[in-house]
Amino acid sequence: MAIPGNKDTRDGLLFSLPFLIVFVIFMIFPLVFGLIISFFNWNILGTPSFIGLENYFALFRDSKFYSSLWHTFEFVLMTTPALLLLGFAMALAVTGGSPLKGVMENVFFVPYIFSMTVVSTLWAWIMQKDFGIFNQLLVATGHGPVGWLTNEKMAMWSVALTTLWWTAGFNMVLFSAGIKQIPKEVYESAQIDGASWWQVVRKITVPLVAPTTVLCLILQVIASFNVFGQVYVMTGGGPYGTTRVLVQYIYETGFKYFKMGYSAAMSYILFLIILVISVVQYLLLGRKEEA
Amino acid sequence: MKGKVSLVLLAVFLSMGLLFAQGAKEPASSGPVEITFWSLFTGGDGEFFDAMVKEYNESQNKVVMKNDTVKFDNYYTKLTTALAAGNAPDVIVVHQGNMLPYVQNGSLLALNDYVDAEVLADFQEAPLSGCISDGKIYSLPLDVHPIVMYYNKDLMAQAGITKVPQTAQEFIDASLAVQKATGKWGLAIDNTTGVYKAYTLTRLFMSMLAQQGGSLLNADNTKANFSNAAGERALVWLQDLVHTYKVNPNELDYDAAMNVFKMGDAAFYFNGVWATGTLEQSGLNFGAAPLPGIMGDEPWAWAGSHTLAVPVQKNQDPRKVEAAVDFIEWMTGHGELWAKAGQIPTRKSVTEKAEFKALPYRADYAAAAAYALETPRTPAWEEIYGTMSDMLEEAVTKKLPAKQALANMEKKINGIIASY
Repeated sequence: MAIPGNKDTRDGLLFSLPFLIVFVIFMIFPLVFGLIISFFNWNILGTPSFIGLENYFALFRDSKFYSSLWHTFEFVLMTTPALLLLGFAMALAVTGGSPLKGVMENVFFVPYIFSMTVVSTLWAWIMQKDFGIFNQLLVATGHGPVGWLTNEKMAMWSVALTTLWWTAGFNMVLFSAGIKQIPKEVYESAQIDGASWWQVVRKITVPLVAPTTVLCLILQVIASFNVFGQVYVMTGGGPYGTTRVLVQYIYETGFKYFKMGYSAAMSYILFLIILVISVVQYLLLGRKEEA
Repeated sequence: MKGKVSLVLLAVFLSMGLLFAQGAKEPASSGPVEITFWSLFTGGDGEFFDAMVKEYNESQNKVVMKNDTVKFDNYYTKLTTALAAGNAPDVIVVHQGNMLPYVQNGSLLALNDYVDAEVLADFQEAPLSGCISDGKIYSLPLDVHPIVMYYNKDLMAQAGITKVPQTAQEFIDASLAVQKATGKWGLAIDNTTGVYKAYTLTRLFMSMLAQQGGSLLNADNTKANFSNAAGERALVWLQDLVHTYKVNPNELDYDAAMNVFKMGDAAFYFNGVWATGTLEQSGLNFGAAPLPGIMGDEPWAWAGSHTLAVPVQKNQDPRKVEAAVDFIEWMTGHGELWAKAGQIPTRKSVTEKAEFKALPYRADYAAAAAYALETPRTPAWEEIYGTMSDMLEEAVTKKLPAKQALANMEKKINGIIASY
C-alpha cells in the first residue's frame, strides 16, 4: 500500500503541527481549563479553592440564571425561523430571472460585512426613544413614540429585528449556493409541464435544498444561542434585565464580578444545551433527508 | 520515528519558551526613569488627563510617564488579569469602590514609606480614608466625584422659582410649577437601562437613605439594610415623580436624561460632577450645587473617587516605585487641571489655588466632598450595585408596591453577599 520511502504519518504530523500547536493552546487548553475551574471558587487574583459541584448546584438555585437562559431561548425562537425564511426568500430573489439580481445580492449581503458594534450602535440610534428616526417618523405621522429599546415588551424584538437585518444575508449565500446546485433539467421539465412559480418553489426548490436548510438551521441555532454583542450594545440587558441573555450573564459574572468558577459552570451548561440541541436536530432532520 | 516526532515537539515548545522570555527586557539604569500608566479616561476626561501627563513630563527630567488609554468597559478585566499575572503597569487608576479585592489579594503596594508626610497631611480626610485599610495606604485619591444637582436657570425663571428646591416636597412643587408654566419636564432622573444601567437610581437611593440616618448595607456590610421606612420613603418619592405627579419621564435612559437636560427640556437634573464639562459646552444657562438634603438635614451624597495606586510587581524596582509616587503626588497636587473635567480635587492646597477658584461651577459644589458617601467595602459591591440598579429600575418604571419590592431586593442582595 504505502509507497516505499514515503513517511505519511510523520509528514502529516509535521505539516499539521503549526496549526495543532495554536489549536491546542487557544482552544483545547481553555476548554479543559474552563471545565476545571468550574469546580473551583476563584476570583482570578487569589488562589482557587476547590468546591466540587457547588457552582453547578448554586446555578440551579439562581433565578437570574433561569431568566437569562429563557431570554436566550426567546431570542432563538424569535430569530431562527425569520432568518431562515428571509434568507431563503432573498436567495430565491437573487437566483431568479430578475435583471436586478446582481444589485440585490450585494444589497442583501452588505450588512453582514459590518461589525457587530457598528450594526448595533447604528440601530440603537435609529431606535432611540427621543431622538431616533423611527420615533421621529412615528411622531410626525401622529403616533406616540415607542420605547423600542426601553420597553420590556419591545426590546427583544428590536434586537431580533436588528439581527435579522444584519445576518440574513449570510443565510442567503448558503441558500443560493444550494439552489444553484439543483440541476437545471428539473426546472425545465417542470416548466414544460406547466408548473406555476409557486409550485416550482414548493415542489422542487424547497425539497431539493433540504440539506442546506438543515445546515442553515443548525448553524443558526448555534449562532442565536451565543447571542451577546447586539444585546449588550443595544439594551445593555435592559430594561431591568429583561433582555439579559445567558452569555451576557456569563460575561458579567466572569469579568465584572470575577466569579470565574461560577461563570465557567454556566458556560458548560450552555455548551451542553447547544450540544444536545445540535445532535437532536442532526439526528431528526439529517436522517430523514438521507432516507 | 515516534521518538523523532516528540523530539521535534519538544524543540518547538522550548523555542517558544525562549520567544516569550525575550519579551521582558530590562531598561538601562541611567537617564530618566520610564514608567507606564493605564488610564480608563476617554473622551473629554481623557483629553484633560493626557494634557496633565504631558505637563508633568515637561515639568521635570527625572521621570518619563507613558500613558496608555484602555476602554472603560474592558478596563477592570484587563487590569485584573494583568495584576494576577504580575505584569501590570507602574501606576494604575482604580475607583475607591473597586479597590477592595485588589487589596485583599495583595496586588497593591502599601505606599506608607514612599509618600511625603507633608503631602499626606494635605489630603482631605474623607477621600483619603477610603484608600486606607488597616493603617496601610494602598492608593491616593485623585478626585472625588459625588452626585450633584444641576438646574436650568431659564426654566426656573419662567416658572417664577427664585429658590433652588431642597426637600422632597419642594422638588415636587417646583417641578409642577415648571411643568405648568413651560410644559417642560421638572426632573430628568434616568430610570432605565441603556448603554449604562440606571445607576442614578441607586446613587440617589443610597444618598437618601444616608440622609435619613440609614445606610444601604449594615455597618459590617454583611446584610442589606433598606427594607424599612427610610427605604420606602425614598422609593415612593422616586416613583411618585414619574407616576403620580408625572414630572419625570418614564423609560428614560442615562444618555437620554443627559440630552433632555442639555436641550433645556427639564429643570432639575442629578448626575455625577463629570457631567459639568459636557453641559458647559452645550451653552445651557445652568447652575450646579451639591446634592440637597432631599430627605434630611445632612446632605449625604453617593460619590465615587478615582485613586492612583502602584501595583505589586514580580521584580519591584524601587526607582520605579519612587518615580510612580512622584507622579501621583504631582497629579493630585495639580487637581485644578483635573477639575476642568468637572472633578473635585482632594488636596486642600488645590482648593485654595486661584486657578481652581476661578473655574465656574466647580467651586459651587466643592463643598459636597465633605458629605461624600464611601462605597461599602465588600467584594460583592459590583454585583450589588448592578442588581440594585436593575431592581430599582423595575420598581420605579413599573410602579411596583414599594414595601414588597424592597423586601424582594433585600432578599436578593443578602443572597449576593452570601455568595462571595
